[in-house]
Amino acid sequence: MDFSSTVASQLYTGAILPESIVILTLVVVLVGDLIVGRSRSGWLPYGTIAGLFGSVVALYFGWDNPNPVAFLGAFNSDNLSILFRGIIALSAAFTIMMSVRYVERSGTALSEFICILLTATLGAMFLSGANELVMIFVSLEMLSISSYLLTGYMKRDPRSNEAALKYLLIGAASSAIFLYGVSLLYGLSGGETILSNIAANIVDAQGGESLALAIALVFAIAGIAFKISAVPFHQWTPDVYEGSPTPVVAFLSVGSKAAGFALAIRLLVTVFDSVVTEWHLIFTALAILSMVLGNVVALAQTSMKRMLAYSSIAQAGFVMIGLVAGTDAGYSSVIFYLLIYLFMNLGAFTCVILFSLRTGTDQIAEYAGLYQKDPLLTLGLSVCLLSLGGIPPLAGFFGKIYLFWAGWQAGLYWLVLLGLITSVVSIYYYIRVVKMMVVKEPQEMSDSVRNYPAITWTAVGMRPLQVGLVFATVVTSLAGILSNPLFTIADSSVTSTPMLQAANHPKNQAVALVDQVPIEAPAIAND
Amino acid sequence: MLSLLLIIPLLGIGLLNLCPQQFSRNIAAVTILSTFSISTWLLFGLDLSNPELQFTEFLPWLEILGLNYNVGVDGLSLPLIVLNGFLTLVAIYSIGENNNRPRLYHSLILFVNSGIAGALMASNLLLFFLFYELELIPFYLLIAIWGGKKKGYASTKFLIYTAISGLFVLGAFLGMTWLSESPTFDLENLTLSNLDLDTKIILLTVLLIGFGIKIPLVPLHTWLPDAYVEANCAVTVLLGGVFAKLGTYGLIRFGLQLFPEAWQSVAPVLAIIGTVSVMYGSLAAISQRDLKRMVAYSSIGHMGYILVATAAGTELSVLGAVAQMISHSLILALLFHLVGIIERKVGTRDLDVLNGLMNPVRGMPLTSSLLILAGMASAGIPGLIGFISEFMVFQGSFSRFPIPTLLCIIASGLTAVYFVILLNRTCFGRLNNDLAYYPKVILSEKIPAIALTLTIIFFGLQPSFLTRWIEPTTTQFVATMEMQTIALEAEQPFISN
Repeated sequence: MDFSSTVASQLYTGAILPESIVILTLVVVLVGDLIVGRSRSGWLPYGTIAGLFGSVVALYFGWDNPNPVAFLGAFNSDNLSILFRGIIALSAAFTIMMSVRYVERSGTALSEFICILLTATLGAMFLSGANELVMIFVSLEMLSISSYLLTGYMKRDPRSNEAALKYLLIGAASSAIFLYGVSLLYGLSGGETILSNIAANIVDAQGGESLALAIALVFAIAGIAFKISAVPFHQWTPDVYEGSPTPVVAFLSVGSKAAGFALAIRLLVTVFDSVVTEWHLIFTALAILSMVLGNVVALAQTSMKRMLAYSSIAQAGFVMIGLVAGTDAGYSSVIFYLLIYLFMNLGAFTCVILFSLRTGTDQIAEYAGLYQKDPLLTLGLSVCLLSLGGIPPLAGFFGKIYLFWAGWQAGLYWLVLLGLITSVVSIYYYIRVVKMMVVKEPQEMSDSVRNYPAITWTAVGMRPLQVGLVFATVVTSLAGILSNPLFTIADSSVTSTPMLQAANHPKNQAVALVDQVPIEAPAIAND
Repeated sequence: MLSLLLIIPLLGIGLLNLCPQQFSRNIAAVTILSTFSISTWLLFGLDLSNPELQFTEFLPWLEILGLNYNVGVDGLSLPLIVLNGFLTLVAIYSIGENNNRPRLYHSLILFVNSGIAGALMASNLLLFFLFYELELIPFYLLIAIWGGKKKGYASTKFLIYTAISGLFVLGAFLGMTWLSESPTFDLENLTLSNLDLDTKIILLTVLLIGFGIKIPLVPLHTWLPDAYVEANCAVTVLLGGVFAKLGTYGLIRFGLQLFPEAWQSVAPVLAIIGTVSVMYGSLAAISQRDLKRMVAYSSIGHMGYILVATAAGTELSVLGAVAQMISHSLILALLFHLVGIIERKVGTRDLDVLNGLMNPVRGMPLTSSLLILAGMASAGIPGLIGFISEFMVFQGSFSRFPIPTLLCIIASGLTAVYFVILLNRTCFGRLNNDLAYYPKVILSEKIPAIALTLTIIFFGLQPSFLTRWIEPTTTQFVATMEMQTIALEAEQPFISN
């Protein structure tokens, strides 16, 4: 008894309560489906969503945990990881809402789909808090392998197969590169695997910078940039987004990307603190390339999913501005933007799914004249796309303003300027879709819209789709205006995370800025 | 009180989307009428002895961004807000009877009304930018849906130009706030006086490019002919009447007021750009063969006066600039409203085809006589509002920029030239007997035109009713500017040592 309580107090197993709930849900879904069979599995998605929300509630209770480092240093449940895990769990819940009808229609099993998706969610959630090299690799691969499986889930569709193969090849290569970088870190630090120890030992041994550390840095970044699809490592994104099932793409664009950013922040800030100028430089380059290429190439796309793929590359570029800023405001703008991006991107994908369920096409030209036949879909997609383009008063506008504001404060004038210019470019391709749907006259209607089916929400899985769509639209339109709580959460998660504070405060540039906030904070709290 | 001007239109949008389609015009009209009455009531409640912002409201909003809901009006913004309500009413009644998507149209119009009022009353830079960008999509849709043949091209061009304008404005705002080390974007927190002159000139230039696109000034104007010509006349009333005024408003509010010394150094360049705009607009208008395009180019010319007057920065010229903003809006709205009627009834805007509309029986006598009056007002004939404002502009700026002012006076003569051409070809002459079976101009089309005409005549005869609201604020601006310039000149020796 005595021994076990000591171990328990060191393990802090409560830190992974959210993940435990997800695992439990996974097992229940898998076993339940085995027992009752496919014909009576209507409860599966709802049970899963309930499980994911339970996990979010558990995350809420883990906020401001006084002992965040659990499992003998392997897992860190600080506020930063809680927010990222929340984003991932929510994106998975949204994805399941979208996928019920989609998977049902394709004639494949829903329960296996949900299980793989929950495994990916687990991997991503563990990755957000992983504090140890092996743990990082295991959870990264858990996410990756589940993603490959999900990508190729529609196995009768050749494009899905091709996407899965491409994704697997590129992903496995980047994992190997990442693993090589990680193994270098292990060696450089003299056999440490916990991130903070590695940082301490590397600084002692090498005095900060060395060629091997630079190689390890570049290799680690290659692995991360693959996940967040930063530009030289982006080539999988358009093909995978086009080929895989749309709900999977929605998860990859939000959940997987959020996990990538969580990994980026944790790994780079802790381990590579001594080469901070180098990795800032690399990410500046990645951000520039991503913003330019993502936004410019998206102009020429004719398929909605491919367009959203390039747009998500570009959005990753915008988010990297906050990462490069490296201040408290920078990190909190990253979190805030990802929070908002969750709703707008998932809303956009919900609309794409809904449209392709009703018409069976993804071509942008086929959206022409949709306002007459389906006003709700038109409204939802318009709101989400305009929000992605950064149009006030939608959520994306505030997210971008925050990113640019943080970047400007950190002195990244050119990066912010490029962000501004490319977001003007992005307005063009987002508005092109809005134009198709809203502006086109009835006589200019596309064939798909002309033969648009009557709108019903009664078929299996349509209702969650509708709920998800309405929810995402409402949040995207209101979360900007009423974003003070979100700002406060994002900001306090950064200021209460020891890892980020340790990295930022000695540099004392950001301190003055952050300190202004608490002075005015009581006024917010009273509202 | 001011927030009502923002909220009521939004409530109106909700209401008209819930009610049956045929009521949407009436709901929109009632909504705008109520905000218009509120703003007029505020106008009479404005304390004229106080040049500062009045009816202020402050609500902390997003403190991390430095964005507060901080609004207030003064003699510069409140008349423009009243004008916004008036012209929105005109736009509601000037769309014509065959509006196929009334709900969307009126929702967008109300949204634009709310956004422009918000931009005019915002005294937080980021809040201003938010409202400034808010107009982007509604106007894009208004041009793209209800426009002419080349509406797709025109609306996209408009969108890109305006978005780029927003980019410059945001860049300047971020720079101003960060360099002045102000914790928030609130106007009163901004102290730019400790920056060195070069930085200020750079920031001011960025700001000028941003607002110059919207005004538009001559090298940046190319979106205007397309957008004005391709948009429906009702939309053009708003586009030229109030939307473009956000540019000149921003110029005075954020250029003149915040950068007094830098303004002095760029003023000569601005005067030249303004003069070029005036000359270019007039000459280009003379060569047009399209009624609407001619009026569109005349707008470029008339906006140039505002720039010249603002650049001169004397008490009278700044007052004249604001008066010219209002008079140009009223005249432009009247012109475009009438052009819209002619286009709808006659079916063409081609000056070579139009003829003899003054014919009392089969022509459009009221429309064409009002067109003559509007043309005269635009050309600066005494007794009408255009004369008053142009006269103030010329007299005020002559002492600082004599040659540009003289050139502007010449261009104002050219205005008369192209309006005579326009009137001669549309109103006079004989009707083509085979084609001239025009539909009647209905009452709801006549009323806005008559109301605009009466306003134009009223202010032309009683200009003090126009200037009394503006004068305290503009006098204050100029006094502050002169004071700061003197202070700077006094400090300069110490700085150079």
